[in-house]
Amino acid sequence: MRLTLRALISHGRVARKMGLGPESRINMLRNILTGLVRHERIETTTARADEVRFYAEKLVDYAKRGDTDEKAMKMASFWLTEKDLVPKLFNVLAPRFETHSKGYTRMARLPNRENLDRAKMAVLEYKGNPFPPLYPVKKDNELTLINQLLRGYREDRAQQLATKA
Amino acid sequence: MATRSACRALERRFASAAAAAAAARPSAAEVRSQRNAVFSREQARQRALYPRIEKIEVSMQGPGLDGTLLVMNRGMSTPLSCARHLTEYHVNNSVLALVDGEPWPLHQPLTDSCSMTLLTFKDSDPTLANQAYWRSCAALLGQVLQTAFKDDYTVELLSTPEVPVTSGAFCCDVALDPQLDSWTPSEESLRSLTKGAQQLIHKDLPWEPLEVAPSVALEVFSHSRCKQEEVEEKAAQHPKGRVTLYRCGDHVLLSAGPLVGRTGLCSQYEVTALHSLRQGPWGLHRRAQGLSLPLQLQAHHTVWRKLRQRAEKLVEVSRLEEAAPPSPPDSTPPPTSQ
Repeated sequence: MRLTLRALISHGRVARKMGLGPESRINMLRNILTGLVRHERIETTTARADEVRFYAEKLVDYAKRGDTDEKAMKMASFWLTEKDLVPKLFNVLAPRFETHSKGYTRMARLPNRENLDRAKMAVLEYKGNPFPPLYPVKKDNELTLINQLLRGYREDRAQQLATKA
Repeated sequence: MATRSACRALERRFASAAAAAAAARPSAAEVRSQRNAVFSREQARQRALYPRIEKIEVSMQGPGLDGTLLVMNRGMSTPLSCARHLTEYHVNNSVLALVDGEPWPLHQPLTDSCSMTLLTFKDSDPTLANQAYWRSCAALLGQVLQTAFKDDYTVELLSTPEVPVTSGAFCCDVALDPQLDSWTPSEESLRSLTKGAQQLIHKDLPWEPLEVAPSVALEVFSHSRCKQEEVEEKAAQHPKGRVTLYRCGDHVLLSAGPLVGRTGLCSQYEVTALHSLRQGPWGLHRRAQGLSLPLQLQAHHTVWRKLRQRAEKLVEVSRLEEAAPPSPPDSTPPPTSQ
């Protein structure tokens, strides 16, 4: 029977610790965020992807203000270490998410890393990226007997509605 | 008094005339047994053409089977026996075989070394399988109609029109006895026809194909002028002038294209309607319609109900579409003037 408590109980603290300290954590997230803005889909560990998600969405919210905004430009130049991505952020990503109010990123789990550490991996992407979808949609075969019958049925109904209207 | 005796005499004369007419026309059972006998004789004769066993090589194509070489017997092995060499899945799910690109019924013996593909309902392009299934369901409907009525009434099966699957129902054209001209089927009679069809499906009878010369086909249908005309039509259309007969149980029929392997492949089968068309040369032409789905593609009862309601409507077939096209844009094309 275990008589001592385990030392890793967080007691309700939800903020993650990454790297060597808070500054190191921000620098790491900055690098990951730059990679995300450049490539629009990246693979990292689950914890890092989850942390970056918040900052990625906040960055897009700032970018939506436009590049004439002083604060937005400062944020963008701080968070993006490679300065050629700043125009991409304001001219490509911000217009893409004009109609979305939130939820610009998507995260999906991957198989664990092949190394000794077997770390939990995840893929993080900005929606609307040019790559094939993460969850491919499997379409039913349109030519099976039952689908052909249903197609005839649907056309018939459309015809009936058209003649009624 | 004189009138009464005269009436009785007339009655007796007409009764005897009717009886004589009925006796001259052979009963349905006799016709069936005669057709069966001719079919069996021709089948035995064709089998006897290969007295010694000669081997042929059949190479299978298909998912997971590419290049499998089977050594089969000439004139005896059928695509079904090739499937039996593979797995039970192939036996139960194959609908039609494609031998050197030609649709081949499952029970027809192979005559040469060839490459064969087994078609199922769930392929990426099951159009041929769907058409064959629709034709087989129409043939089954014809068989049910032939055997459903009492011996006093004649049933003349006309040609089953080639209907595309999107039209919603398969049709079987039939000309009933003139005494039944005013009869419209009630729901009860349609249900009893359905029950007859379900019994045939339950028996799981194979559709045996036989390619014959037109003369043999004319002998088979010697009692039916309408069928003989159909034989001549089909012989004219075929490139080699041969006619394919199919036998299911003890019913011999004619078909435009390959049929499915056995009746047990259908699971949901219903006879939906019997519409009267115009008066034709053989009497009042009627179109029996039905709806069916195979064992592998069963529909939920809500979907089935909707499709069945649609299948009750008359399907109009224009004479111009002989070989079934894949899918016309309009499900009910306007009828051409006949």
